[in-house]
Amino acid sequence: MDLKFLVVDDSVTMRRIVINSLKNLSYDNFVEAGDGREAMDKLIADSSINFVITDWNMPNVSGLELVKSIRNDEKLSKLWILMVTTRGVKEDIIEALNARVNNYIVKPFTPQILKEKIDQIINV
Amino acid sequence: MKQVSSMSELFERLNDLKVVFRYGQKMIPIIQSLLDFMKETVPLLEDINTSIADTTSKIPRAKDQITNVSSQTELATTEILDVVDSISLDVEKVDKILHDIKSKEDEKKNDWEAIRKLVPASKEADKIIKHYESIEVFSSTIPAIEEIFGKIRNDVYKITLSLQVQDITSQQLAAVNHLIESVRMKLSSLIVHLDQTELDSIDNVSLDMPENAAFNPDAVYTKSSERQDTADELINSINNKATQDEIDKLFS
Repeated sequence: MDLKFLVVDDSVTMRRIVINSLKNLSYDNFVEAGDGREAMDKLIADSSINFVITDWNMPNVSGLELVKSIRNDEKLSKLWILMVTTRGVKEDIIEALNARVNNYIVKPFTPQILKEKIDQIINV
Repeated sequence: MKQVSSMSELFERLNDLKVVFRYGQKMIPIIQSLLDFMKETVPLLEDINTSIADTTSKIPRAKDQITNVSSQTELATTEILDVVDSISLDVEKVDKILHDIKSKEDEKKNDWEAIRKLVPASKEADKIIKHYESIEVFSSTIPAIEEIFGKIRNDVYKITLSLQVQDITSQQLAAVNHLIESVRMKLSSLIVHLDQTELDSIDNVSLDMPENAAFNPDAVYTKSSERQDTADELINSINNKATQDEIDKLFS
């Protein structure tokens, strides 16, 4: 399956780490954004993006707000969303799941977990 | 008679006054010691005020230093990632070269086989071919070289992954900065109070983390899978169509 990823994180380091990990999994199509607002702009401009990997805590528009915006947008609502965040308490995870993320990774992540979650999402 | 009565009333009043004066005399040392105490306390309060003002004025510098540490570690991490990417590229190039050499070596092997078939009766030719094959060290070492480069690739990737610590510590530092700023605001309000001017909403300054912060104050760099396991159990519960109550029960 051809996947085009949008990697959203305010940390340049994290974006590079996620993209390097995706390259390691043999994916080669990526777009980057530094916060939820920029991510929405990129999603609207590029309809070929089908997979969003987003952080939660970001300036301007947070990852959770981004997830809600995507799910409320008729054209974008079917996108796959994987949240990769440092927030690991039960209440946060439930809040993200209620916002309808497809899966959830707690940082720091391992390549195995990233692969497992992407496979789970696209195979459901 | 009336005059006598007025005089005795006057004496009574004078006696009352005398009592008051005596009482006053007893009070004087107490008032004096109170005044002495206040004389000693006022400079002390002024010292406290100065000390708070001094501390408060230093807080922005502490904040700046923390921000600097955060930016410098991000810069250093970027440099490490650049080097790591460069090593990965080199490893990829070597991989490609090895792959090319391997296919040429295979071609060579096939050629020797063909030559061997062309000169089946010649023992001398067979001996030379065997000798040539035995001194072909490089082709036999290719798998070992590939294994070493595979290990280098894995180690380089491990370095990349461990650099997640930079993002996590920068979130922790941002949380500390927020806390420092909140303390500074509290102290500033206190100085205003001690200066006897109107108190500027000291109770409105909160030490709580803002809801929409661009950092997570509870960010932790850990190799424990406990938090990921929690997420997985919740996701599995939802995928199995469990109700929210059932999910909550799982973790209560």
